[in-house]
Amino acid sequence: MTKPIIVVDKFSMSFGDTKVIDDLSFDVTRGETFGLLGSNGSGKTTTIRALLGAYIPTAGTLTIDGKPYKVDGTVKLGYLPEERGLYKKEKVIDTMVYFGRLKGMSAHQAKEWSLRYLERVELADKASLLVDKLSGGQQQKVQLGITIMNDPELLILDEPTKGFDPVNRRLLMTIIEEHQQKGATVIMVTHQMEEVERLCDRIILLKDGKAAAYGTVKEVKKKYGGKSLDDIFVEIYGGRDDA
Amino acid sequence: MHNLKTVFSFEFLRTVKKKTFWISVLLFPIAIAAVAGISIASNKATDEALQQSQKEKFSLAITDNTELISPALISAFGAQIQLDKDSGIAEVKAGKVDAFFYYPQDISKHPIEIFAKDAGMFDNSKYDAVAKLLLEQSVSSSVSSSVKAILQGTVTTATTTFKDGAVFDGLKSMIVPGIFLVLFYFVIAMFGNQMLNSTVEEKENRVIEMLLTSVETRTLIIGKILALITLGLLQVFLIIIPTIIGYFLLKNQLSLPSFDLSSLTFDWPRILTGFVIFMLSFLFFTGLLVTIGASVPTAKEAGPFIGVVMLLIFAPLYAASLFVSNPEAGIVQFLSYFPLTAPIPLLLRNAIGNLQLHEVLISLSILLVCTIFVIQLAVRVFRYGALEYSRKLSLKEILGR
Repeated sequence: MTKPIIVVDKFSMSFGDTKVIDDLSFDVTRGETFGLLGSNGSGKTTTIRALLGAYIPTAGTLTIDGKPYKVDGTVKLGYLPEERGLYKKEKVIDTMVYFGRLKGMSAHQAKEWSLRYLERVELADKASLLVDKLSGGQQQKVQLGITIMNDPELLILDEPTKGFDPVNRRLLMTIIEEHQQKGATVIMVTHQMEEVERLCDRIILLKDGKAAAYGTVKEVKKKYGGKSLDDIFVEIYGGRDDA
Repeated sequence: MHNLKTVFSFEFLRTVKKKTFWISVLLFPIAIAAVAGISIASNKATDEALQQSQKEKFSLAITDNTELISPALISAFGAQIQLDKDSGIAEVKAGKVDAFFYYPQDISKHPIEIFAKDAGMFDNSKYDAVAKLLLEQSVSSSVSSSVKAILQGTVTTATTTFKDGAVFDGLKSMIVPGIFLVLFYFVIAMFGNQMLNSTVEEKENRVIEMLLTSVETRTLIIGKILALITLGLLQVFLIIIPTIIGYFLLKNQLSLPSFDLSSLTFDWPRILTGFVIFMLSFLFFTGLLVTIGASVPTAKEAGPFIGVVMLLIFAPLYAASLFVSNPEAGIVQFLSYFPLTAPIPLLLRNAIGNLQLHEVLISLSILLVCTIFVIQLAVRVFRYGALEYSRKLSLKEILGR
């Protein structure tokens, strides 16, 4: 663990009169896997979007490698958003090559990489099909492939297992572990506590836009008397229907 | 503009590879060819039927109060002379003759009356043709060919006009600058919807968030606009070439006017002005339609806007005669400067040749500023409206961020 790659400092965000994030601060160290946890509407996705420049913060700063994120190729980013999809009327291989090229690969490199990935996830025979001819699970595999193209140094996965079947979930876990081993920084937004226990070094639990708990998994558990993360989650959000 | 080439080639190729693009491109010349084919076949069949019907002889009785019909012609046609109208009609009713023509004394005030046996809607026209033919041939033998041409309205004129001491043909100098008006019409009419929908797709498919962390919004929008412009020009090219080929192949069959291309006048300042107006107008409306597309969540909600934009673009055509006859009129000036209506008046007036230099400079400046503004707006709207999957962005929200 070295210096932080991500620093969120006194970040606040309001939409109209609604304050979604209130004076939030945390950091993510280079090479660690960080869990951004919380109930629905607690501000996880808003924080990620503000970090990636899609939202302008009402107050505070969010930086990656010391500066606000800009799509200029200086940070090799892989982002799997919560709202995800693909160009439905494009071929699988064309879509992957397009994203590969946007991420700085040559057309040849992107095609080679995509074909190898599709082989790995047993979709090699689907490369020339239109995306809308693929099942939902197959499309998720393609989205995951696009996310990890060009070996990202920072992986941001917003509810990565949402809608995944057990096979795809296992594939995702394997891929995250591979990138951890390569030294990538991983931010996971998730409700799945078993994944957090398995993969995350540190976590932050958001409640009403504020940090309800922040530290290593061990520290957070200790703070709550050695309870499991599931129990801690229920304790923090217990009275809420959406938790 | 990192990745501009990648965005441009992806957007261009994905459209060109679609069957729908080629269907829409080829449908127009095919439709023109089909209409031309029907017209040729129809004209040919009509001519043949007319010639056939005129050859068919019919028995005829005539009352000639004009005293113009030549007795030799009456005799050649085998017609009988009837002394009065009632007996002529009675002969037709009794089936003794096929037709009876009653020529009144003053045919300038009263019609030639024809009473005839019904030969069908098409063949009935033969009676009218013969009634006039008898009169024309009887009279033409008594006048000179010049008088005949004057009376028939077939006299022609040949005009030579001069400008700055040299022969100048205003009509021929209109043709090349006028092409930009036709191009603009085609490109907007056939490509408007695609412009509008080009930014909605990413929202509808939920691919936008992943995309915007891989490419700058400005690069994406400019890449899309450049691809749309290239596709529009390609589409025009693919429509014009078969149309020109069709013109040269079918001009005689369709009785189309002949153009001697070698005598075309190339007024280069006007051609250049037309090109700049066309390109800026195209860029402006592409930016505008992309902005509208970026501000709505679905293609369905973008639909109504295209009607409004089209109305603004093409409404000035209704005032076209005013652009020719009174270019100084307030309404003409307004329509020429207001960017949403400017393309048609500017292109038309440039083709006619009544667009003044100061008007060109002012209108192009306005168009340029508005084009830059709408492209900036498109970037802003796309950036901040990208994550609004279910609602339209208001202008206040767009400008307030």
